[in-house]
Amino acid sequence: MASPVNTGRAGVINAPDDAGSMDQLAHAVLDDLLYNIVHDLLIKVHRDEKIARAATAAIRVEKLASDASDSSTPDARPDVKVETDAAIYDEGKVTLKGNPLVTTHDIVCPRCHLPRLLYPTDGKGARKPDPSIIYCKKRPYIDKPGYDIYGQTWVAQGPGRGKKKKDMEKKIDPNTPADSPTPASEGGNVGGGAASRPPNMLSFPSATCSKCKRCILVTRLNNHMGSCIGNSGRNASRAAAQKISNGNSNGNGDGTPPSSQKGTPLPGSRAGSPKKRDGDEMDEDDATDNDAHKKKKLKPMAASVNVNKKLVVKPKVGAGIKKEKKNDDDDGPTVEVAPKKKVTKVPSPAKKLKLGVKPLMSSPLAKSNGKAAVGGGNTGDDAASESSGTLSSPPAA
Amino acid sequence: MAARPTTPASPKNVKVNSPVPGTPLFGCEHIQLLLSNNQDTINSSIQYYKMLLRVIFDKDPIVAQTSKTLEGLITTSLTSNFLCLQCSAILSEEERLKHGAKKGHRFYVDSRSGSLFCQFCEDFVWDPTLEDLRIRKMGTGSFSSRKRKHEDMFSDSVKESMKEEQRYISANTTAASCRADGLRGIYNAGATCYQNVVLQSFLHNPLLRNFYLGDGHQSNDCQVSHCLSCAMDDMFQDFYALENTNGYTAANILSGFWISEKKAFENLVTTKEQDAHEFFQFLAEELHERNGDGKKPETGSEHSCNCIVHQTFYGKLQNQTTCQNCGGVTNAVESFLDLSLGLENLARKKGKKEPKGEPSLTLQDCLDEEYIKSDKCEYRCRNCNSSQQARRDHSIKLLPNVLSIQLKRFEFKQGSRDRAASKIRTKVQFPLHLNMLPYTTRGQSDNGRESQELNRSCVYDLLSVVEHVGEIDTGHYVSYCRVGDQWFSFNDHRVELAKKSDVLGSQAYLLFYMIRSLA
Repeated sequence: MASPVNTGRAGVINAPDDAGSMDQLAHAVLDDLLYNIVHDLLIKVHRDEKIARAATAAIRVEKLASDASDSSTPDARPDVKVETDAAIYDEGKVTLKGNPLVTTHDIVCPRCHLPRLLYPTDGKGARKPDPSIIYCKKRPYIDKPGYDIYGQTWVAQGPGRGKKKKDMEKKIDPNTPADSPTPASEGGNVGGGAASRPPNMLSFPSATCSKCKRCILVTRLNNHMGSCIGNSGRNASRAAAQKISNGNSNGNGDGTPPSSQKGTPLPGSRAGSPKKRDGDEMDEDDATDNDAHKKKKLKPMAASVNVNKKLVVKPKVGAGIKKEKKNDDDDGPTVEVAPKKKVTKVPSPAKKLKLGVKPLMSSPLAKSNGKAAVGGGNTGDDAASESSGTLSSPPAA
Repeated sequence: MAARPTTPASPKNVKVNSPVPGTPLFGCEHIQLLLSNNQDTINSSIQYYKMLLRVIFDKDPIVAQTSKTLEGLITTSLTSNFLCLQCSAILSEEERLKHGAKKGHRFYVDSRSGSLFCQFCEDFVWDPTLEDLRIRKMGTGSFSSRKRKHEDMFSDSVKESMKEEQRYISANTTAASCRADGLRGIYNAGATCYQNVVLQSFLHNPLLRNFYLGDGHQSNDCQVSHCLSCAMDDMFQDFYALENTNGYTAANILSGFWISEKKAFENLVTTKEQDAHEFFQFLAEELHERNGDGKKPETGSEHSCNCIVHQTFYGKLQNQTTCQNCGGVTNAVESFLDLSLGLENLARKKGKKEPKGEPSLTLQDCLDEEYIKSDKCEYRCRNCNSSQQARRDHSIKLLPNVLSIQLKRFEFKQGSRDRAASKIRTKVQFPLHLNMLPYTTRGQSDNGRESQELNRSCVYDLLSVVEHVGEIDTGHYVSYCRVGDQWFSFNDHRVELAKKSDVLGSQAYLLFYMIRSLA
């Protein structure tokens, strides 16, 4: 077919008019191959799409049939005849009417029978979904730099979160300006930044160590297990360091990349970031017994740095504007996050206890008369009602 | 192609596939007319479609690519022709319309893919019955399916009770959410990216997935404490049954790994960065011990076991030693979990040949070097009863279902006192589809070379790639896995869409190829 003209089937790769016959042939062959590649791609997409639409037509007409027959057994095939624009249902058999690519315009999921969302909601090729439609949960994957296929992003790792400062500076994510790199502002970040953080930004979770049952932030899990399971006792980190340094000098004879100098800090170095550790333990505390807040398990340094969303920070002291935020990830009904300054005032549970009683005197001072009595009465009970007892919060009024 | 064959005297009538809820019975109204005619027409149509598929997939492609116009002009084309389903004509696209108008034949088969074209619809149609045949022919080369036979063995009463069972199952189970598609990242628990990449490649391995999701190892029945196979089972459940889209915390894997007392892998149990390949070997052997015969696989021996790991990853190598003096041949067979391909020598050789620019290798170069070329060695021959020069030939006796290949990028320069480790950065091009026939024992013997069937059974598709980025002593592992036709890149907890060009452009360290047909 390519012989009379100087190109092939696709007609894209044209040989010049004065080209020799071998030249023309080469152009024609290349053009034909291009045609075949496009043809193969198209036929694949065509197949997937047409089968999905045909199935959609079938599912819809079967649904109509089972509705029409109101049989008690859901999977029995009703002996009725139903017809739609796209298909005919007749005694358990579905046949098509016309070309499903013409008659059917959307695709329903063959499993859950809900319509499929056909465009991603964000990133490349995004379209706004119709909010009135409940779509199948299988959605097109999102293709957007800095986000994963589900449109999620993560709180950047900062110092004290398993990354060294120099790594941090290199890789700080421009998409997360709310995430301050300095540990000092971490508390404020969680409090004030929680709102500015996009809803699909996730924090790193914690996991329970299978041996000591403590809750450890995931990025530190390997280090923890190294000291907890790898060897035990107080000398663990020293022994591990010894072992590692031995391993470095002679352990790699078999094509293994030698252990790095830049790897995660040795178990011993963990002491350098007490805040982090306390955050972990605090987390565990909350997970196990929410009410026993005054449990003395917390270290004295336990500043209420809630690295994790699960953490419920409840010390509400004195007057001040508080921010209440619903958080769907949470176990408890609400996460109440105090502004950072308030939190740092309450560095230890012991102090918190004391402060908890304070509102009895402090609130009348700060605010007007009648409400104070209500607030004061509540405050005595426990930390949770204490917060609602403060004057600025609506429930007290 | 010869004239239209008479319908083979098949004792059994060909049947249209029985109706399945959620799919129409026929590809279009016109196919419906053809296939709900009398039984003779159904038989001949389906048999003839099968024959055309055999012509397309088993014969030389030139047969189907050569067409004849009404005027008798014969053309061979690179692009698709159409084979008439109702007579023996092979037509080009233009001629197809004329043929249809003249003879009233309306159904044609694409000469390159076997797809059915309906001229009434002016469109390709995907009829369930015929498409089923085409897919089976393309995949396994035969039309029979074991499943069908299995079903036919049962009497109607048994079938009825099977239906009852199905009803019971559907009434008492909840289907996993459509969201749960196994695509999740795994959090880095502190320099554990070497584990994450291997775990991801296991998670997207269809054989392992089916084994674990099919309750192959039930964690609630297992008595072993901190069993790694149980941890794998839990992980598969979490990936394929939960709606979660955030990263997975592989705490159980990690603790199982720390607790495991494998002396050979002592080096692995540190908190530092490690070799992904070593972890792959560790995990495979550990899972073999939990699921298999309990025997430790010895390196260099022929170890067979029916466990999932052996069924998935293990193949057999044959080393043939030929004495140069007396010509005596000894064969040794050993099992392998993966093929390790050296890069250094080849890279140096290539570098000498093409001094300009970066040397670039292909995976096939590396395989040729290892499994086609022979090498010489000293060998104590029993016949000659003396030490002789011998030729050694390596070949693959039994191909595994999932072929894992390690490109040895990490090398120790031995010899001198200071052993400097280095990473070989040579680019190795690897294909999406790999034919292993030339490296097999059968493929190297002459008689095996021609068979299309054998050729087809050695075709592998790329399943996942593990890439090491960075320096020898520090760096990061990322991996790419294919789910269906879509590639994804896994960087710890981050999962992103990947293009084929990203995958093929990566500096691969481990490659996993999956056999195309399990026939």
